Amino acid sequence: MKGAILKIENSIEKTIIEFLKKGLDKKLFDVVLIPVKVPAGDSYAWVLVQDKALLEDANPLPPVMLVQGAKALSSITRRGKSNKKIAAIMRPCEIRASIELSKLQQIDLENICLISIDCPGALPLKDYLEDTKKGIDTFKKVIKEWGNESVRPICQMCDKSVGLSIQSDLHIGIFGAKNNEIYLIPSSQKGKSILEEIGIPAEESMDNWEKKTKEFVETRKKNRKKIQSTLSEKVMGLDNLLETFSNCINCHNCQSVCPICYCRQCYFESEKMKLSSDDYLIRAESKGILRFLPDTLLFHLGRMTHMSLSCVGCGACEDACPMSIKVAQIFSIVGDRSQKVFNYIPGKSIEESLPLKVYEEDEFHDVEKP
Amino acid sequence: MPMEEKIGVYVCECGPNIADKVDIDKVVETISSLPSVNVVERHKLLCSEDGKKFLKESIQKNELTRIVVAACSPKQHEVTFMRVCESAGINPYFFQLTNIREQCAWIIDDKEEATERTIRYIRAAIRRVLYHKALEKKEIEANPDVLVIGGGIAGISASLLLASGDRKVYLIEKTKVVGGKVREFAKLFPRMEPCSDIISQKIKEVENNKNIEVHTDSEVSEVLGFLGNFVAKVNTSENKAIEQPSEQAIKEKGLENKELELKVGAVVVATGFSMLDLQQLPQYGYGKYDNVYTALEFEKMNAEGKILLKNGKPPKQIAIIHCVGREKVGYCSRVCCMYSLKFANYIKSKLPSVKVSHLYTDLTVPGKTYQKFYEQTKEKDVEFIRAQDIEITESNGQLTINHKGTPNLKPLNTDMVILSSAITPSSDAHKLAEMLNISQGDNGFFVEEHPKLAPVSTSMEGIFITGCAQGPKNISDSIVQAQAVAGKILSSIIPGKKLELEVKTSEISEALCIGCQTCLEVCSYGAIYFDEIKRVCIVNEVLCRGCGNCVGSCPSGAASSKHFTTTQLHQEVVEALR
Repeated sequence: MKGAILKIENSIEKTIIEFLKKGLDKKLFDVVLIPVKVPAGDSYAWVLVQDKALLEDANPLPPVMLVQGAKALSSITRRGKSNKKIAAIMRPCEIRASIELSKLQQIDLENICLISIDCPGALPLKDYLEDTKKGIDTFKKVIKEWGNESVRPICQMCDKSVGLSIQSDLHIGIFGAKNNEIYLIPSSQKGKSILEEIGIPAEESMDNWEKKTKEFVETRKKNRKKIQSTLSEKVMGLDNLLETFSNCINCHNCQSVCPICYCRQCYFESEKMKLSSDDYLIRAESKGILRFLPDTLLFHLGRMTHMSLSCVGCGACEDACPMSIKVAQIFSIVGDRSQKVFNYIPGKSIEESLPLKVYEEDEFHDVEKP
Repeated sequence: MPMEEKIGVYVCECGPNIADKVDIDKVVETISSLPSVNVVERHKLLCSEDGKKFLKESIQKNELTRIVVAACSPKQHEVTFMRVCESAGINPYFFQLTNIREQCAWIIDDKEEATERTIRYIRAAIRRVLYHKALEKKEIEANPDVLVIGGGIAGISASLLLASGDRKVYLIEKTKVVGGKVREFAKLFPRMEPCSDIISQKIKEVENNKNIEVHTDSEVSEVLGFLGNFVAKVNTSENKAIEQPSEQAIKEKGLENKELELKVGAVVVATGFSMLDLQQLPQYGYGKYDNVYTALEFEKMNAEGKILLKNGKPPKQIAIIHCVGREKVGYCSRVCCMYSLKFANYIKSKLPSVKVSHLYTDLTVPGKTYQKFYEQTKEKDVEFIRAQDIEITESNGQLTINHKGTPNLKPLNTDMVILSSAITPSSDAHKLAEMLNISQGDNGFFVEEHPKLAPVSTSMEGIFITGCAQGPKNISDSIVQAQAVAGKILSSIIPGKKLELEVKTSEISEALCIGCQTCLEVCSYGAIYFDEIKRVCIVNEVLCRGCGNCVGSCPSGAASSKHFTTTQLHQEVVEALR
């Protein structure tokens, strides 16, 4: 595998921004979609930046994930392709969600250059907001010590955060890089020609970086299994699920921040779920008890059925849960299992169809048995 | 919940079928006690004339607005009872049939349990019927004219039966003449009657029929629309002036090449077949050795007069090889054995002393007349050799057929070889499949909607397949199939009569659709299109047959099926599980 090497000047973030500025200069892309520090404080928002000067406040790798990047990209291109070339720089889980959304025609990737970056994880939103200064310091440590346990649990179990496990146009390798270097690895023609135009063709061997990232992924996989199996014991089965989600206050935050939740209106918020008092009384009578707001678990099970094949494990749901329910971790268990059934990795490749769109005559004989 | 409906529940005993297994008295008593039910009645056999009369009178007398019948499978009598509702003046979709025979009486031995479940099902049906919506029948004008693509025996046969004073047929033929491959046949098996008697007769009938407009040297380039309302474009370079210029021939592209626009109600695909390209099977030496012929080449040689070798001399020995390419294509071409026998008869009648050998792996001589034909041919001193792994070589003009299959048999020397090769789909079948949105099977032939229930229909309503376009078959079967197609069209599009559309179609909510177009991919009927401006998918109700594929695949719950809405199903299930 070949890539280009950039010498770090000031910081990793600044080096990436300088690279993006060159791209803007050479008109390789017209706009950059990137997290930018908001004026109100130490928070970040997705911003389309055309003016190079404004890139100074940008941060390609902010310590937290606020709006999931795929959601931002979807709101730009949902109604058709962008007529300007956009370079979108995102975490791998955001890229993967973007690819899933493009399969559902919710993102048009024409004229979009997806730039992914080795991700050390993001801090839990709650921890960060308690003391943002401390948070920024912690995150500096996180970038240095890969595997630091200050990041969100879902990030600690993420096995697609580094290396080339995803299909972006250009990947920025920062994991395991030598102290003063970062790597630019093209994985499409688009990415390749950007490097060539900027004058840093992908000619350097990336084998060492690749080897290191693979090793890291392996340890992550083990960690993922460990966390999942501990959690499984607590959440498997209807009774456990009922208990786990009994804390839920039906705010549906998890749904509204989820990048994949593509419905225009959630079924569980629709008129169809609003029943007459008679209906509830009948249910209460037949069960002996009925909790309000109703259908809490059904909502989560519905979302699981809907999302599990495309869930990229970005953790936005868990960050947004005011009751600290381990939504993302639970979804990762369900997601891994259902994705395995179809041998499907969400966001891995734009060429792979969504499993439910593919007709296979010969499958699932085990469920055909009476 | 919708209120103030007057509900009637009717429990059918189905003779002893239900009555013996379910305590109907208890069912009636329990259901009667429900507050929302106005009438509960039982009857010995509701589907009988007496039963239907009873049902109708009861609906009218009690001025009911919703009806539940607990009886047999909807597949059996749903339509029966819906008609009764209609005749009683109530919308037939304000009715629900619940199946207490197959799903209770016949499968539950314990009477008490069967009774309990019957009550549960009836309660669920009552609940569901309250959420039913009145659905109205829709009708559209239908053009009775028919486009027949392909002027072979199948296309001709269909055209002749379809054309009449109030129904025009446009017969489109790619080549210069109609008649197809059959034109070149001298005789027909098994009766060995001259082919011209049948074919020339039919061609003449077509040419003389004022209601058939023949376009030779013409190809269909586009077909849009649906049953009753297709618009087809035909590119034609035919020379002959059309005697009565069609009013519908709108555009003219120039003097030589014209583009016709035809409006029709149905399309018949009778595009025939091709033969397997024998270059793909070099072991038979076709194209390499002089005296190796394809079946069609031999048919032509015989029809033109003498059976001769390339050097002009008559052959002394002829070998006919069956099943050429059968393994390659993976199916039996059905007619090769029979025409191979026909060839033996050609040869024996012209050159009685020639030795004829058939090399076959399996013989296909089915039906009421073929066996006899085979036996009669055999009696004419015709040899039959079971042979496999055939390979043909040549030396000094002498052909040698090496083969396995029958032990201790030497290679066969012969002067001439006829290869009875596999029938394959017409070379432009894929083009047509794409244009018409109909499917091809693995073997490339067009696929019927159902091999038994709808053998000449396709997944596109109004587009039919016949003859070898559907699969290899003989002339009789092609004609039978062509007449079946004509029957389907004659009975579905009647001049002056409107077409009744499927009522239980799908609909897609504009507000909920995310425009992912998954439904478009799974719709078998081409009934969904994507509105680029609104960026939502829309169902064409004329084409939709209500299969529900879109509903099942819609990731955002935007597609729903009329009469099977989520609310209706939800309410039914809630009550069934209560």
